[in-house]
Amino acid sequence: MTMDFLTRNNVRVLGQGERAIVFAHGFGCDQTMWRHMVPYFEKQYRVVLFDYVGSGNSQLQYYHTDRYSDLHGYAQDLVEIMNTLRLSNAIFVGHSVSSMIGMLASIAHPQLFERLIMLGPSPRYMNDLPDYYGGFDERDIDELLQMMQMNFIGWASYLAPIVMQNAERSELASELERSFCSRDPHIAREFAEVTFRSDCRAELAHASIPSLILQCSDDSIAPIEVGNYLHAHLKNSTLLQMTAKGHYPHLSHPEETTSLIKHYLTSN
Amino acid sequence: MNIQLDHAPCGYFSITSTGVIRSVNQTLAGMLGYDRQQLLDQHVETMMSVANKLFFHTYFYPYIQLYGHVKEMYFSLRTMEHQDVPVLLNGVQQERDGEVFIDCVVVEMRKRIEHEKDILHTKTKLEELYRATNEANQKLELLHAEYEAKQQELLRLNHQLEALASTDPLTGLRNRRFFQEQLLANIALFQRMRLPFSLLIVDIDHFKAINDTFGHPVGDAVLTDLGQMLRSMSRESDIVARYGGEEFVIIAPSSTRDNAKLAAERFRAQIEAATLGGCQVTVSIGVATMTSVDTDVTLLQKADQALYASKSNGRNRVTHAADRTEA
Repeated sequence: MTMDFLTRNNVRVLGQGERAIVFAHGFGCDQTMWRHMVPYFEKQYRVVLFDYVGSGNSQLQYYHTDRYSDLHGYAQDLVEIMNTLRLSNAIFVGHSVSSMIGMLASIAHPQLFERLIMLGPSPRYMNDLPDYYGGFDERDIDELLQMMQMNFIGWASYLAPIVMQNAERSELASELERSFCSRDPHIAREFAEVTFRSDCRAELAHASIPSLILQCSDDSIAPIEVGNYLHAHLKNSTLLQMTAKGHYPHLSHPEETTSLIKHYLTSN
Repeated sequence: MNIQLDHAPCGYFSITSTGVIRSVNQTLAGMLGYDRQQLLDQHVETMMSVANKLFFHTYFYPYIQLYGHVKEMYFSLRTMEHQDVPVLLNGVQQERDGEVFIDCVVVEMRKRIEHEKDILHTKTKLEELYRATNEANQKLELLHAEYEAKQQELLRLNHQLEALASTDPLTGLRNRRFFQEQLLANIALFQRMRLPFSLLIVDIDHFKAINDTFGHPVGDAVLTDLGQMLRSMSRESDIVARYGGEEFVIIAPSSTRDNAKLAAERFRAQIEAATLGGCQVTVSIGVATMTSVDTDVTLLQKADQALYASKSNGRNRVTHAADRTEA
Protein backbone atom coordinates (compact mmCIF):
# COMPACT_ATOMS: atom_id res chain seq x y z
CA MET A 1 0.00 0.00 0.00
CA THR A 2 1.45 3.33 -0.98
CA MET A 3 0.55 6.54 0.72
CA ASP A 4 -1.26 9.03 -1.43
CA PHE A 5 1.23 11.87 -1.18
CA LEU A 6 -0.79 14.06 -3.52
CA THR A 7 -3.82 13.98 -1.23
CA ARG A 8 -1.73 14.14 1.90
CA ASN A 9 -0.08 17.38 0.80
CA ASN A 10 -3.11 18.81 -1.05
CA VAL A 11 -1.03 18.99 -4.24
CA ARG A 12 -2.38 21.02 -7.15
CA VAL A 13 -0.85 21.09 -10.62
CA LEU A 14 -1.82 23.97 -12.90
CA GLY A 15 -0.81 25.47 -16.21
CA GLN A 16 0.93 24.15 -19.26
CA GLY A 17 4.51 23.93 -20.32
CA GLU A 18 7.23 21.36 -20.07
CA ARG A 19 9.22 22.74 -17.23
CA ALA A 20 7.87 22.36 -13.76
CA ILE A 21 8.01 25.10 -11.16
CA VAL A 22 7.28 24.12 -7.58
CA PHE A 23 6.10 26.80 -5.15
CA ALA A 24 6.62 26.01 -1.48
CA HIS A 25 5.01 28.13 1.23
CA GLY A 26 6.70 29.23 4.44
CA PHE A 27 5.85 29.00 8.11
CA GLY A 28 2.35 30.13 9.06
CA CYS A 29 1.14 30.04 5.47
CA ASP A 30 -0.22 27.67 2.88
CA GLN A 31 -0.32 27.48 -0.91
CA THR A 32 -2.87 30.32 -1.19
CA MET A 33 0.05 32.69 -0.51
CA TRP A 34 1.13 32.09 -4.13
CA ARG A 35 -2.11 33.18 -5.70
CA HIS A 36 -0.79 36.49 -7.03
CA MET A 37 2.22 34.73 -8.57
CA VAL A 38 0.58 31.75 -10.24
CA PRO A 39 -1.07 33.71 -13.11
CA TYR A 40 2.36 34.92 -14.23
CA PHE A 41 3.72 31.41 -14.56
CA GLU A 42 0.91 29.11 -15.61
CA LYS A 43 1.13 29.90 -19.33
CA GLN A 44 4.76 28.81 -19.55
CA TYR A 45 5.17 26.29 -16.74
CA ARG A 46 3.57 23.39 -15.04
CA VAL A 47 2.92 25.02 -11.71
CA VAL A 48 2.99 22.72 -8.68
CA LEU A 49 1.41 23.95 -5.43
CA PHE A 50 1.13 22.05 -2.17
CA ASP A 51 0.71 22.40 1.60
CA TYR A 52 3.19 20.90 4.01
CA VAL A 53 1.70 18.28 6.30
CA GLY A 54 0.10 20.24 9.14
CA SER A 55 -0.55 23.34 7.04
CA GLY A 56 -3.41 24.47 4.81
CA ASN A 57 -5.59 21.63 3.60
CA SER A 58 -3.07 18.87 4.10
CA GLN A 59 -4.17 15.66 5.82
CA LEU A 60 -3.44 16.31 9.47
CA GLN A 61 -3.48 12.65 10.45
CA TYR A 62 -0.12 12.22 8.74
CA TYR A 63 1.50 14.72 11.07
CA HIS A 64 3.89 13.02 13.45
CA THR A 65 6.03 15.01 15.84
CA ASP A 66 8.98 12.68 15.24
CA ARG A 67 8.99 13.11 11.49
CA TYR A 68 8.54 16.87 11.55
CA SER A 69 10.85 17.59 14.43
CA ASP A 70 13.34 19.16 12.04
CA LEU A 71 13.34 20.54 8.52
CA HIS A 72 14.37 17.20 7.01
CA GLY A 73 10.86 15.87 7.61
CA TYR A 74 9.44 18.73 5.55
CA ALA A 75 12.12 18.19 2.91
CA GLN A 76 10.93 14.58 2.74
CA ASP A 77 7.38 15.83 1.96
CA LEU A 78 8.79 17.80 -0.95
CA VAL A 79 10.85 14.88 -2.30
CA GLU A 80 7.89 12.50 -2.08
CA ILE A 81 5.66 14.90 -3.97
CA MET A 82 8.25 15.51 -6.70
CA ASN A 83 8.91 11.79 -7.09
CA THR A 84 5.21 11.02 -7.29
CA LEU A 85 4.81 13.64 -10.03
CA ARG A 86 7.91 12.21 -11.79
CA LEU A 87 9.54 15.64 -11.77
CA SER A 88 13.19 16.21 -12.50
CA ASN A 89 15.25 19.32 -13.11
CA ALA A 90 12.43 21.38 -11.70
CA ILE A 91 12.56 25.00 -10.61
CA PHE A 92 11.90 25.38 -6.95
CA VAL A 93 10.60 28.59 -5.38
CA GLY A 94 10.63 28.57 -1.60
CA HIS A 95 9.47 31.30 0.70
CA SER A 96 11.30 31.90 3.96
CA VAL A 97 11.92 28.59 5.76
CA SER A 98 10.97 26.71 2.59
CA SER A 99 14.12 27.98 0.92
CA MET A 100 16.14 25.88 3.32
CA ILE A 101 13.72 22.95 3.02
CA GLY A 102 14.24 23.03 -0.76
CA MET A 103 17.99 23.29 -0.32
CA LEU A 104 18.04 20.26 2.01
CA ALA A 105 16.00 18.28 -0.52
CA SER A 106 18.38 19.35 -3.31
CA ILE A 107 21.40 18.09 -1.36
CA ALA A 108 19.84 14.65 -0.97
CA HIS A 109 18.28 14.51 -4.46
CA PRO A 110 20.06 16.97 -6.77
CA GLN A 111 18.54 15.41 -9.91
CA LEU A 112 15.12 16.77 -8.92
CA PHE A 113 16.22 20.39 -9.09
CA GLU A 114 17.61 22.72 -11.71
CA ARG A 115 17.32 26.04 -9.92
CA LEU A 116 16.42 27.14 -6.41
CA ILE A 117 14.71 30.49 -5.92
CA MET A 118 14.82 31.64 -2.31
CA LEU A 119 12.46 34.38 -1.12
CA GLY A 120 13.63 35.89 2.16
CA PRO A 121 15.70 32.84 3.16
CA SER A 122 17.58 32.38 6.40
CA PRO A 123 19.89 29.50 7.31
CA ARG A 124 19.42 30.35 10.97
CA TYR A 125 16.98 32.79 12.53
CA MET A 126 18.60 32.96 15.92
CA ASN A 127 21.70 34.92 16.73
CA ASP A 128 24.92 33.05 17.33
CA LEU A 129 27.01 36.02 18.34
CA PRO A 130 29.63 37.17 17.70
CA ASP A 131 30.02 35.04 14.54
CA TYR A 132 26.50 35.10 13.25
CA TYR A 133 23.63 37.56 13.30
CA GLY A 134 20.25 35.98 12.60
CA GLY A 135 18.05 38.71 14.06
CA PHE A 136 16.40 36.81 16.94
CA ASP A 137 17.27 35.66 20.38
CA GLU A 138 15.64 33.08 22.67
CA ARG A 139 13.41 35.66 24.36
CA ASP A 140 11.96 36.77 21.03
CA ILE A 141 11.08 33.21 20.07
CA ASP A 142 9.36 32.60 23.41
CA GLU A 143 7.42 35.83 23.04
CA LEU A 144 6.35 34.81 19.55
CA LEU A 145 5.17 31.41 20.75
CA GLN A 146 3.13 33.03 23.48
CA MET A 147 1.68 35.53 21.04
CA MET A 148 0.66 32.67 18.77
CA GLN A 149 -0.90 30.79 21.63
CA MET A 150 -2.96 33.77 22.77
CA ASN A 151 -4.32 34.18 19.27
CA PHE A 152 -5.55 30.63 18.85
CA ILE A 153 -9.29 30.36 18.85
CA GLY A 154 -10.20 28.31 21.88
CA TRP A 155 -6.68 28.44 23.28
CA ALA A 156 -7.97 28.54 26.84
CA SER A 157 -9.79 25.23 26.53
CA TYR A 158 -7.18 23.70 24.29
CA LEU A 159 -5.32 21.11 26.35
CA ALA A 160 -2.41 19.92 24.27
CA PRO A 161 -1.99 16.45 25.77
CA ILE A 162 -5.67 15.69 25.26
CA VAL A 163 -5.81 16.97 21.73
CA MET A 164 -2.66 15.08 20.83
CA GLN A 165 -4.46 11.90 21.71
CA ASN A 166 -7.36 12.60 19.39
CA ALA A 167 -6.51 11.13 16.03
CA GLU A 168 -9.58 12.74 14.55
CA ARG A 169 -9.13 16.46 14.79
CA SER A 170 -11.50 17.62 12.10
CA GLU A 171 -13.91 19.31 14.48
CA LEU A 172 -11.13 21.31 16.02
CA ALA A 173 -9.65 21.91 12.60
CA SER A 174 -12.78 23.54 11.26
CA GLU A 175 -13.08 25.67 14.37
CA LEU A 176 -9.56 26.93 13.90
CA GLU A 177 -9.78 27.33 10.19
CA ARG A 178 -8.89 30.78 9.01
CA SER A 179 -7.60 31.69 12.41
CA PHE A 180 -4.22 33.32 12.45
CA CYS A 181 -2.26 30.28 13.34
CA SER A 182 -3.20 27.53 10.93
CA ARG A 183 -5.66 24.77 11.59
CA ASP A 184 -3.94 23.00 14.40
CA PRO A 185 -2.30 25.08 17.13
CA HIS A 186 -0.18 22.19 18.33
CA ILE A 187 1.30 21.66 14.87
CA ALA A 188 1.65 25.40 14.28
CA ARG A 189 3.61 25.73 17.48
CA GLU A 190 5.89 22.84 16.59
CA PHE A 191 6.43 24.22 13.09
CA ALA A 192 7.28 27.59 14.65
CA GLU A 193 9.81 26.00 16.97
CA VAL A 194 11.34 23.86 14.23
CA THR A 195 11.57 26.90 11.96
CA PHE A 196 12.97 29.42 14.37
CA ARG A 197 15.37 27.01 16.03
CA SER A 198 16.60 25.56 12.72
CA ASP A 199 20.25 25.87 11.78
CA CYS A 200 21.23 24.96 8.23
CA ARG A 201 24.61 26.69 8.20
CA ALA A 202 26.54 23.43 8.15
CA GLU A 203 24.57 22.15 5.15
CA LEU A 204 25.21 25.20 2.96
CA ALA A 205 28.57 23.84 1.80
CA HIS A 206 26.93 20.68 0.44
CA ALA A 207 24.44 22.48 -1.78
CA SER A 208 25.32 22.59 -5.47
CA ILE A 209 22.16 23.59 -7.35
CA PRO A 210 22.39 27.18 -8.65
CA SER A 211 20.27 29.47 -6.54
CA LEU A 212 18.81 32.95 -6.54
CA ILE A 213 18.51 34.72 -3.20
CA LEU A 214 15.84 37.42 -3.30
CA GLN A 215 16.58 39.75 -0.44
CA CYS A 216 13.81 42.18 0.48
CA SER A 217 14.64 45.56 1.82
CA ASP A 218 13.61 46.13 5.42
CA ASP A 219 12.94 42.47 6.00
CA SER A 220 12.87 42.16 9.76
CA ILE A 221 12.61 38.37 9.61
CA ALA A 222 15.51 37.81 7.23
CA PRO A 223 17.69 40.94 7.45
CA ILE A 224 20.35 41.83 4.92
CA GLU A 225 23.13 40.42 7.11
CA VAL A 226 21.50 37.01 6.73
CA GLY A 227 21.21 37.39 2.96
CA ASN A 228 24.87 38.32 2.72
CA TYR A 229 25.91 35.40 4.88
CA LEU A 230 23.92 33.00 2.75
CA HIS A 231 25.31 34.37 -0.48
CA ALA A 232 28.86 34.07 0.85
CA HIS A 233 28.41 30.44 1.91
CA LEU A 234 26.23 29.09 -0.86
CA LYS A 235 28.13 28.31 -4.03
CA ASN A 236 26.49 29.11 -7.37
CA SER A 237 24.25 31.63 -5.64
CA THR A 238 23.10 35.01 -6.92
CA LEU A 239 21.96 37.65 -4.46
CA LEU A 240 19.45 40.24 -5.61
CA GLN A 241 18.26 43.11 -3.47
CA MET A 242 14.61 43.81 -4.11
CA THR A 243 12.92 47.16 -3.83
CA ALA A 244 10.02 45.26 -2.26
CA LYS A 245 9.87 45.74 1.46
CA GLY A 246 8.90 43.28 4.13
CA HIS A 247 8.96 39.53 4.15
CA TYR A 248 6.20 38.69 1.68
CA PRO A 249 7.27 40.05 -1.72
CA HIS A 250 5.11 37.45 -3.47
CA LEU A 251 2.07 38.99 -1.80
CA SER A 252 3.04 42.63 -1.80
CA HIS A 253 5.04 42.83 -5.03
CA PRO A 254 4.13 39.89 -7.25
CA GLU A 255 5.18 41.72 -10.46
CA GLU A 256 8.66 42.61 -9.27
CA THR A 257 9.13 39.15 -7.77
CA THR A 258 7.99 37.48 -10.97
CA SER A 259 10.16 39.57 -13.26
CA LEU A 260 13.28 38.97 -11.16
CA ILE A 261 12.65 35.22 -11.15
CA LYS A 262 11.95 35.10 -14.89
CA HIS A 263 14.98 37.21 -15.69
CA TYR A 264 17.16 34.90 -13.61
CA LEU A 265 15.75 31.81 -15.26
CA THR A 266 16.25 33.08 -18.80
CA SER A 267 19.64 34.69 -18.36
CA ASN A 268 21.34 31.78 -16.60
CA MET B 1 -7.92 64.37 11.61
CA ASN B 2 -11.35 64.77 13.03
CA ILE B 3 -11.08 65.73 16.72
CA GLN B 4 -13.43 62.99 17.82
CA LEU B 5 -11.27 60.32 16.16
CA ASP B 6 -8.12 62.00 17.41
CA HIS B 7 -9.21 61.60 21.01
CA ALA B 8 -11.40 58.52 20.66
CA PRO B 9 -11.01 55.99 23.49
CA CYS B 10 -8.99 53.71 21.24
CA GLY B 11 -5.77 53.97 19.32
CA TYR B 12 -6.05 54.54 15.59
CA PHE B 13 -3.38 54.36 12.90
CA SER B 14 -3.25 53.99 9.18
CA ILE B 15 -0.33 52.48 7.26
CA THR B 16 0.48 52.09 3.57
CA SER B 17 0.64 48.63 2.03
CA THR B 18 4.36 48.67 2.72
CA GLY B 19 3.87 49.47 6.38
CA VAL B 20 4.66 53.19 6.50
CA ILE B 21 2.60 55.07 9.10
CA ARG B 22 0.47 57.79 7.42
CA SER B 23 -1.70 58.81 10.34
CA VAL B 24 -1.90 58.25 14.05
CA ASN B 25 -4.44 59.57 16.50
CA GLN B 26 -3.49 61.34 19.69
CA THR B 27 -4.77 58.49 21.87
CA LEU B 28 -2.29 56.02 20.31
CA ALA B 29 0.63 58.46 20.35
CA GLY B 30 -0.11 59.09 24.05
CA MET B 31 -0.49 55.38 24.76
CA LEU B 32 3.01 54.78 23.39
CA GLY B 33 4.61 57.91 24.79
CA TYR B 34 5.45 59.49 21.43
CA ASP B 35 4.71 62.83 19.85
CA ARG B 36 2.59 62.22 16.83
CA GLN B 37 5.31 63.65 14.58
CA GLN B 38 7.80 61.05 15.78
CA LEU B 39 5.61 58.29 14.41
CA LEU B 40 4.46 59.75 11.12
CA ASP B 41 6.31 58.37 8.09
CA GLN B 42 8.02 55.78 10.25
CA HIS B 43 7.62 52.06 9.57
CA VAL B 44 4.95 50.42 11.69
CA GLU B 45 7.69 48.18 13.13
CA THR B 46 8.79 51.22 15.16
CA MET B 47 5.95 50.35 17.51
CA MET B 48 6.91 46.68 17.84
CA SER B 49 9.34 44.38 19.61
CA VAL B 50 11.27 41.79 17.57
CA ALA B 51 8.81 39.01 18.39
CA ASN B 52 5.90 41.24 17.50
CA LYS B 53 7.46 42.14 14.19
CA LEU B 54 7.78 38.43 13.55
CA PHE B 55 4.21 37.79 14.48
CA PHE B 56 2.99 40.79 12.51
CA HIS B 57 4.77 39.63 9.38
CA THR B 58 3.86 35.99 9.77
CA TYR B 59 0.20 36.41 10.55
CA PHE B 60 -1.22 39.91 10.37
CA TYR B 61 0.30 40.95 7.10
CA PRO B 62 -0.37 37.87 4.95
CA TYR B 63 -3.83 37.51 6.43
CA ILE B 64 -4.90 41.05 5.64
CA GLN B 65 -3.40 40.75 2.17
CA LEU B 66 -5.49 37.65 1.52
CA TYR B 67 -8.74 38.42 3.30
CA GLY B 68 -8.77 42.23 3.51
CA HIS B 69 -9.32 42.37 7.26
CA VAL B 70 -8.06 41.15 10.60
CA LYS B 71 -10.28 40.93 13.64
CA GLU B 72 -9.50 40.70 17.34
CA MET B 73 -5.83 39.92 17.07
CA TYR B 74 -4.04 39.87 20.37
CA PHE B 75 -0.94 41.93 19.91
CA SER B 76 1.62 43.84 21.85
CA LEU B 77 2.86 47.30 20.95
CA ARG B 78 6.02 48.88 22.26
CA THR B 79 6.29 52.29 23.83
CA MET B 80 9.12 54.73 23.21
CA GLU B 81 10.52 53.51 26.54
CA HIS B 82 10.41 49.90 25.27
CA GLN B 83 7.50 48.91 27.49
CA ASP B 84 4.96 46.42 26.17
CA VAL B 85 1.35 47.51 25.75
CA PRO B 86 -0.99 44.57 25.22
CA VAL B 87 -3.74 45.44 22.77
CA LEU B 88 -6.57 43.96 20.80
CA LEU B 89 -6.16 44.91 17.17
CA ASN B 90 -8.61 45.17 14.28
CA GLY B 91 -7.43 46.07 10.82
CA VAL B 92 -9.06 46.63 7.47
CA GLN B 93 -7.59 47.18 4.04
CA GLN B 94 -9.11 50.20 2.27
CA GLU B 95 -8.44 52.00 -0.98
CA ARG B 96 -8.41 55.80 -0.96
CA ASP B 97 -7.56 57.89 -4.03
CA GLY B 98 -6.04 54.88 -5.75
CA GLU B 99 -3.78 54.02 -2.86
CA VAL B 100 -4.18 51.02 -0.56
CA PHE B 101 -4.12 51.65 3.19
CA ILE B 102 -4.43 49.41 6.19
CA ASP B 103 -6.48 51.15 8.87
CA CYS B 104 -6.21 49.77 12.37
CA VAL B 105 -7.71 50.37 15.77
CA VAL B 106 -6.19 49.08 18.96
CA VAL B 107 -7.79 48.81 22.40
CA GLU B 108 -5.58 48.47 25.42
CA MET B 109 -6.23 45.26 27.30
CA ARG B 110 -4.14 45.58 30.44
CA LYS B 111 -6.88 44.29 32.77
CA ARG B 112 -8.13 41.73 30.29
CA ILE B 113 -4.64 40.40 29.71
CA GLU B 114 -4.24 39.71 33.41
CA HIS B 115 -7.36 37.52 33.29
CA GLU B 116 -6.09 35.78 30.20
CA LYS B 117 -2.71 35.19 31.78
CA ASP B 118 -4.51 33.64 34.74
CA ILE B 119 -6.38 31.36 32.40
CA LEU B 120 -3.17 30.53 30.58
CA HIS B 121 -1.52 29.73 33.86
CA THR B 122 -4.42 27.52 34.92
CA LYS B 123 -4.43 25.85 31.57
CA THR B 124 -0.70 25.12 31.79
CA LYS B 125 -1.23 23.68 35.25
CA LEU B 126 -4.15 21.60 33.99
CA GLU B 127 -1.99 20.24 31.22
CA GLU B 128 0.68 19.29 33.72
CA LEU B 129 -1.92 17.76 35.99
CA TYR B 130 -3.43 15.84 33.15
CA ARG B 131 -0.02 14.54 32.14
CA ALA B 132 0.79 13.56 35.73
CA THR B 133 -2.59 11.85 36.15
CA ASN B 134 -2.03 10.01 32.93
CA GLU B 135 1.37 8.82 34.07
CA ALA B 136 -0.03 7.76 37.44
CA ASN B 137 -2.83 5.93 35.66
CA GLN B 138 -0.38 4.12 33.47
CA LYS B 139 1.58 3.05 36.54
CA LEU B 140 -1.66 1.89 38.16
CA GLU B 141 -2.55 -0.05 35.07
CA LEU B 142 0.82 -1.76 35.18
CA LEU B 143 0.34 -2.60 38.85
CA HIS B 144 -3.11 -3.85 38.11
CA ALA B 145 -1.81 -6.10 35.34
CA GLU B 146 0.81 -7.49 37.73
CA TYR B 147 -1.90 -8.06 40.33
CA GLU B 148 -4.05 -9.85 37.76
CA ALA B 149 -1.17 -12.12 36.78
CA LYS B 150 -0.54 -12.98 40.41
CA GLN B 151 -4.23 -13.63 40.93
CA GLN B 152 -4.24 -16.00 37.98
CA GLU B 153 -1.20 -17.77 39.37
CA LEU B 154 -2.96 -18.13 42.73
CA LEU B 155 -6.05 -19.53 41.08
CA ARG B 156 -3.93 -22.01 39.16
CA LEU B 157 -2.16 -23.10 42.35
CA ASN B 158 -5.49 -23.36 44.09
CA HIS B 159 -6.84 -25.63 41.39
CA GLN B 160 -3.71 -27.72 41.66
CA LEU B 161 -4.13 -27.96 45.44
CA GLU B 162 -7.79 -28.83 45.10
CA ALA B 163 -6.95 -31.56 42.62
CA LEU B 164 -4.28 -32.88 44.98
CA ALA B 165 -6.69 -32.78 47.91
CA SER B 166 -9.29 -34.74 46.00
CA THR B 167 -6.93 -37.35 44.51
CA ASP B 168 -6.01 -40.75 45.83
CA PRO B 169 -2.20 -40.78 45.75
CA LEU B 170 -1.80 -44.49 44.97
CA THR B 171 -4.22 -44.94 42.08
CA GLY B 172 -4.54 -41.37 40.86
CA LEU B 173 -8.32 -41.78 41.09
CA ARG B 174 -10.54 -39.35 42.97
CA ASN B 175 -10.53 -39.94 46.72
CA ARG B 176 -13.32 -40.56 49.18
CA ARG B 177 -13.70 -36.89 50.06
CA PHE B 178 -14.31 -35.93 46.46
CA PHE B 179 -16.70 -38.87 46.07
CA GLN B 180 -18.75 -37.68 49.03
CA GLU B 181 -19.05 -34.20 47.56
CA GLN B 182 -20.10 -35.56 44.20
CA LEU B 183 -22.59 -37.92 45.77
CA LEU B 184 -24.28 -35.01 47.54
CA ALA B 185 -24.21 -32.97 44.34
CA ASN B 186 -25.83 -35.78 42.39
CA ILE B 187 -28.48 -36.23 45.05
CA ALA B 188 -29.26 -32.54 44.94
CA LEU B 189 -29.56 -32.72 41.17
CA PHE B 190 -31.83 -35.77 41.49
CA GLN B 191 -34.07 -33.93 43.89
CA ARG B 192 -34.32 -30.85 41.74
CA MET B 193 -34.40 -32.30 38.27
CA ARG B 194 -35.32 -35.97 38.81
CA LEU B 195 -32.11 -36.97 37.05
CA PRO B 196 -31.55 -40.65 37.88
CA PHE B 197 -28.15 -41.99 38.86
CA SER B 198 -26.70 -45.18 40.28
CA LEU B 199 -23.95 -46.01 42.70
CA LEU B 200 -21.59 -48.98 42.27
CA ILE B 201 -19.30 -50.35 44.97
CA VAL B 202 -16.56 -52.57 43.56
CA ASP B 203 -14.59 -54.77 45.94
CA ILE B 204 -11.69 -57.07 45.00
CA ASP B 205 -12.29 -60.67 46.00
CA HIS B 206 -9.76 -62.20 48.37
CA PHE B 207 -7.51 -59.16 48.27
CA LYS B 208 -5.99 -60.02 51.68
CA ALA B 209 -4.72 -63.29 50.21
CA ILE B 210 -2.96 -61.42 47.35
CA ASN B 211 -1.24 -59.17 49.85
CA ASP B 212 -0.26 -62.07 52.06
CA THR B 213 0.96 -64.26 49.21
CA PHE B 214 2.73 -61.76 46.90
CA GLY B 215 3.39 -58.86 49.25
CA HIS B 216 2.10 -55.32 49.44
CA PRO B 217 3.87 -54.00 46.32
CA VAL B 218 1.90 -56.49 44.20
CA GLY B 219 -1.24 -55.60 46.10
CA ASP B 220 -0.62 -51.95 45.30
CA ALA B 221 -0.04 -52.78 41.64
CA VAL B 222 -3.35 -54.64 41.52
CA LEU B 223 -5.10 -51.62 43.03
CA THR B 224 -3.45 -49.23 40.60
CA ASP B 225 -4.22 -51.35 37.54
CA LEU B 226 -7.80 -51.88 38.63
CA GLY B 227 -8.18 -48.14 39.13
CA GLN B 228 -6.95 -47.50 35.58
CA MET B 229 -9.18 -50.18 34.19
CA LEU B 230 -12.29 -48.85 35.92
CA ARG B 231 -11.46 -45.37 34.64
CA SER B 232 -11.07 -46.61 31.07
CA MET B 233 -14.22 -48.73 31.14
CA SER B 234 -16.42 -45.98 32.54
CA ARG B 235 -17.91 -43.00 30.78
CA GLU B 236 -16.50 -39.53 30.89
CA SER B 237 -19.34 -38.39 33.13
CA ASP B 238 -18.87 -41.21 35.65
CA ILE B 239 -17.10 -40.44 38.90
CA VAL B 240 -14.64 -43.21 39.71
CA ALA B 241 -13.08 -43.02 43.18
CA ARG B 242 -11.18 -45.14 45.62
CA TYR B 243 -13.34 -45.51 48.68
CA GLY B 244 -10.70 -47.12 50.86
CA GLY B 245 -8.63 -50.34 50.98
CA GLU B 246 -9.66 -52.54 48.05
CA GLU B 247 -13.03 -50.81 47.64
CA PHE B 248 -13.86 -48.57 44.68
CA VAL B 249 -17.00 -46.54 44.07
CA ILE B 250 -18.52 -45.31 40.85
CA ILE B 251 -21.27 -42.71 40.52
CA ALA B 252 -22.95 -43.26 37.19
CA PRO B 253 -25.10 -40.22 36.35
CA SER B 254 -28.31 -40.79 34.41
CA SER B 255 -27.95 -44.54 34.84
CA THR B 256 -31.19 -46.36 35.66
CA ARG B 257 -31.32 -49.65 37.49
CA ASP B 258 -31.04 -51.78 34.33
CA ASN B 259 -28.29 -49.71 32.73
CA ALA B 260 -26.32 -49.71 35.96
CA LYS B 261 -26.60 -53.49 36.24
CA LEU B 262 -25.50 -53.95 32.64
CA ALA B 263 -22.48 -51.67 33.17
CA ALA B 264 -21.56 -53.43 36.41
CA GLU B 265 -21.77 -56.79 34.74
CA ARG B 266 -19.56 -55.56 31.89
CA PHE B 267 -16.99 -54.32 34.44
CA ARG B 268 -17.05 -57.59 36.32
CA ALA B 269 -16.59 -59.71 33.18
CA GLN B 270 -13.75 -57.60 31.78
CA ILE B 271 -11.92 -57.58 35.11
CA GLU B 272 -12.22 -61.33 35.35
CA ALA B 273 -10.68 -61.65 31.88
CA ALA B 274 -7.83 -59.20 32.58
CA THR B 275 -4.49 -59.50 34.33
CA LEU B 276 -4.03 -56.81 36.98
CA GLY B 277 -0.63 -56.32 38.65
CA GLY B 278 0.37 -59.72 37.26
CA CYS B 279 -2.56 -61.41 39.00
CA GLN B 280 -5.91 -62.82 38.00
CA VAL B 281 -8.53 -61.20 40.18
CA THR B 282 -12.26 -61.03 40.37
CA VAL B 283 -14.51 -58.40 41.89
CA SER B 284 -17.85 -58.36 43.63
CA ILE B 285 -20.11 -55.41 42.89
CA GLY B 286 -23.05 -53.90 44.74
CA VAL B 287 -25.31 -51.51 42.87
CA ALA B 288 -27.97 -49.11 44.12
CA THR B 289 -30.06 -46.67 42.12
CA MET B 290 -31.21 -43.43 43.71
CA THR B 291 -34.87 -43.21 44.68
CA SER B 292 -36.85 -40.34 46.11
CA VAL B 293 -36.70 -41.72 49.63
CA ASP B 294 -32.91 -42.10 49.67
CA THR B 295 -30.26 -39.98 51.33
CA ASP B 296 -26.52 -40.32 50.89
CA VAL B 297 -26.45 -42.61 53.90
CA THR B 298 -29.25 -44.91 52.81
CA LEU B 299 -27.98 -45.09 49.23
CA LEU B 300 -24.52 -46.11 50.41
CA GLN B 301 -26.05 -48.57 52.81
CA LYS B 302 -28.12 -50.16 50.04
CA ALA B 303 -25.11 -50.47 47.74
CA ASP B 304 -23.07 -51.89 50.58
CA GLN B 305 -25.70 -54.47 51.41
CA ALA B 306 -25.92 -55.44 47.73
CA LEU B 307 -22.13 -55.87 47.74
CA TYR B 308 -22.41 -58.02 50.85
CA ALA B 309 -25.01 -60.14 49.04
CA SER B 310 -22.60 -60.59 46.07
CA LYS B 311 -19.91 -61.69 48.47
CA SER B 312 -22.06 -64.11 50.37
CA ASN B 313 -23.51 -65.58 47.19
CA GLY B 314 -20.04 -66.72 46.09
CA ARG B 315 -18.25 -63.53 44.95
CA ASN B 316 -17.40 -62.47 41.33
CA ARG B 317 -20.93 -61.27 40.75
CA VAL B 318 -23.17 -58.23 40.59
CA THR B 319 -26.10 -57.55 42.85
CA HIS B 320 -28.54 -54.63 42.62
CA ALA B 321 -30.02 -53.51 45.89
CA ALA B 322 -33.53 -53.45 44.44
CA ASP B 323 -33.28 -57.09 43.33
CA ARG B 324 -32.20 -58.01 46.82
CA THR B 325 -35.22 -56.40 48.45
CA GLU B 326 -37.55 -58.01 45.95
CA ALA B 327 -35.97 -61.39 46.43
